[in-house]
Amino acid sequence: MNSDKHGLKKLLFRHETLLLLVLVGEWLFFYFRGTTTNFSGVTVGFGTAGAQIDILRHSCEIGLLALVMTPVILTGGIDLSVGSLMGLSAVVFGKLWRDAGVPIPAAITATLALGALAGGLNATLITALRLPPLIVTLGTFSLFRGLAEALTRGADTFTGFPASFQAIGQNNWFGLPAQLLVFVLVAAAIWLLVHRTTLGRSFRAIGYASEGARYAGLPVGRRLATVYILAGLGASLAGLIFTARLNQAGANTGTGYELFAITAVVLGGTSIFGGSGSVHGTLLGWAAVAVLSDSLPYVDWPREVGGMLTGLLLIVALSAGVLPKFLSAWRARRHSSRSVNPQPTPSP
Amino acid sequence: MKRFFSLSFLAVSLIFSGCGKKDSAPAAGSAGASGKKLTIAMLPKSKGNAYFLSAAKGAQKAADALNDTLLFDGPTQTDPAKQNEIVEGWINKGVDVIAVAAEDKAALSTALRKAQSKGIKVVSFDADVMPDARTFFVNQATPQGIGESLMDEAARLAGSEGEFAIITASLTAANQNEWKKSIDERLKMYPKMKLVEFRPCDDDKAKAQSEATTIMSAHPNLKLIMSICSPGVPGAAEAVKQAGKTGKVKVIGLGLPNENKAYVHSGVTDSVILWNTEELGALAVHAADALARGTLKAGDKSFTVGGKTYDIVGDNIMLGKPFIFNKANIDQFDF
Repeated sequence: MNSDKHGLKKLLFRHETLLLLVLVGEWLFFYFRGTTTNFSGVTVGFGTAGAQIDILRHSCEIGLLALVMTPVILTGGIDLSVGSLMGLSAVVFGKLWRDAGVPIPAAITATLALGALAGGLNATLITALRLPPLIVTLGTFSLFRGLAEALTRGADTFTGFPASFQAIGQNNWFGLPAQLLVFVLVAAAIWLLVHRTTLGRSFRAIGYASEGARYAGLPVGRRLATVYILAGLGASLAGLIFTARLNQAGANTGTGYELFAITAVVLGGTSIFGGSGSVHGTLLGWAAVAVLSDSLPYVDWPREVGGMLTGLLLIVALSAGVLPKFLSAWRARRHSSRSVNPQPTPSP
Repeated sequence: MKRFFSLSFLAVSLIFSGCGKKDSAPAAGSAGASGKKLTIAMLPKSKGNAYFLSAAKGAQKAADALNDTLLFDGPTQTDPAKQNEIVEGWINKGVDVIAVAAEDKAALSTALRKAQSKGIKVVSFDADVMPDARTFFVNQATPQGIGESLMDEAARLAGSEGEFAIITASLTAANQNEWKKSIDERLKMYPKMKLVEFRPCDDDKAKAQSEATTIMSAHPNLKLIMSICSPGVPGAAEAVKQAGKTGKVKVIGLGLPNENKAYVHSGVTDSVILWNTEELGALAVHAADALARGTLKAGDKSFTVGGKTYDIVGDNIMLGKPFIFNKANIDQFDF
C-alpha cells in the first residue's frame, strides 16, 4: 500500500468529507424537488435567494451556540445552559432598554457582560468545586430559565425595538443576512482559537486526559474557565440576534436550542468524551441540520419529519464514523484466525 | 475496503435517487385547469390543538369549495419564533395569501410585514396581529356578543325570573370582567332576575365545584349557575349532579364542547356557549380568498359568503353572535 493511496483513502474516510457529501446531497435534493416556477414565471421555493437567506437567518443562533459549544465539548465538558442563557439575555436586554431606559449599545454591552458572568458561574462551579459539567449546567439550565421567567412572570415580552437594532436580525448587508457577518467573524475567531493557537490545543489535551494535562503543567482550571465564559458570551450574543430577528424578547427564547447545538457539534465529528474534533466539522454538522430542518415545506413534507431525519442523520453519521474501525478489526480477526501462529496485530 | 466504498456509493446514490422527479406536480402556486387557483396558507397558534383542528376542518371545506389549495401548518407547541419561520418559508414558496392566529403579536407581525411587502395578502383570525401587518382581522366574538348571548340564554332557561349565580376565573381577570360588564348591562332587560353571587374559581374545576356547592346551600332558591370561565362549566355541573339538583338548578357557561358533552347529554348542563370554530376557519379562508382576488377590499362594510352576510366593523370581520352548543348539536363538534 503506497502512501499516496493511503492519503486519499484517509481523506475519503474523514468524517468531514462524508458530511460534506451528505450536505451537498441534501441541498441538491431540495433544490431539484423544492424549486418551482409559479404563474407569472417567477421562480419560487428552495432555489430562491430568499429561501437560502432565510435558512441562514433561522439557524444563525443555533450555529453560534454550536461554535462556542465546540471548545466546551473538546475539553470533555458540556454546557446545557446555553439555551436558557439565551432566554435570560433576551429578557435582561429587553428590561434594560424598555424599563431602565438604557440606550441600545450600552444594553448590548451589559447583556454580553451578563453572558460572560453566567459562563463564569458555570466555570467556577466546575473548576473550583470540581463538579461534573453535566450536573452544573443542568442546574444553571433551570436557574437561568427560571430567572428569565421570574423577571417577566412568564408573560411579559419586549418589543418595539429601534429599527437600527432590528436591522441586525432582519436586514441584508451586501445581499447577505446581517447576522451572517457576526456569525462569520465568530466562526473565524473560534476556528483560529481551536486550530491555530496553543490555547486551543490545550482544550484537546484536557479533553484527552485532564489529569495528564494537569501534570504536564497546563493551568486546567483557567483553560476550562475560558471555554465556559466563551460559551456564555456566545449564548448572550445569540439571544441578542434572536431578539433583533423577531423584534421580540421573551422568557422562552432559545428553548431547546442547547440540544440542537450539541447535535450539530456531535454530528460534526467532535467526540462527546472530548479530545478530538474540529470547528469546520461543527460548521458542516450545523449546515446539514439547518438545511434539513428549514426546507421540508418546500418539498411539501411535514416539518415534523425534520426531527426524525435529523436523528437518523446523526445515528447514521456516527455509525459510519466507527465503520472503518469495525471493518479493520473484523478483518484483523479473520486474518489472525487463519494463521497458525498469530502475530501481534498492528493497531489500526 | 472495496466493500466499504461500494457501500458508501450505494448510500450516496440512494440519496440522489430521491431527486428524480417522480411526479411533475409543482409544489405550490400550481395552476388550476381553469382560472386562478390560489394557495392559501393558514397558521394556527399550534397544530395539535383541537380548537385549531376544528377551525382547520372548516377551512379545508371552504378551500375545497373555492377550489383553492390550503396549506395548514403551525408549530407543534406554541412557539412565536417557529410561527415566524413558517411564514418566511411561505413567502419563499410564493403563496398567494396568508391567514394567521398569532401566538405573539409583535414577533409574527415582523414576518407578516415582509410578506405584505412581497405582495402577499394577509388576514388574521382568532388572535390578532398588529393592525399594519394584516388587512383584516376575522373576529370570532366581542365581549358584548358573549355577554349578551350568555344573559339571554340564562333568561330563556330561567323563564326570565329568579336567582342566579356567576362563577368567574378570578376577580381581576380582564376578559371575564369585560364579559361581566356586558352581562350586567343586559341584565337590566330582565328586571325579575337577580344575580346573587359572583365567585372566582381560579380557573380550576375542583374549586368551581366547591364554590357551586357552597352557592347552592346558601341560596336554596337558586335557578341557574353561569360560568364565564371554561373549567367552571363542568365544575358547576358536577356540583349540581352530586347535589341531586339536576334540572332544578340549570348550568350554562362559556366552554369547550368536549369537556361538557357528558353533562349536556345527562341533562345537567343545558347549553355551552362559544363561537363556531369551523365557521371561523371557513370565514378566514373565504376572506383570504376574496382579499387576494380583490373582491374584498379595505373599507368594505360587509362580506357575504354563500348567502350569509358578515358585518365588518372597521377592519374586523365579525363572525357574529356566539354559537350555542346543546344536546341537539354538540356531538357534531370535536374540540
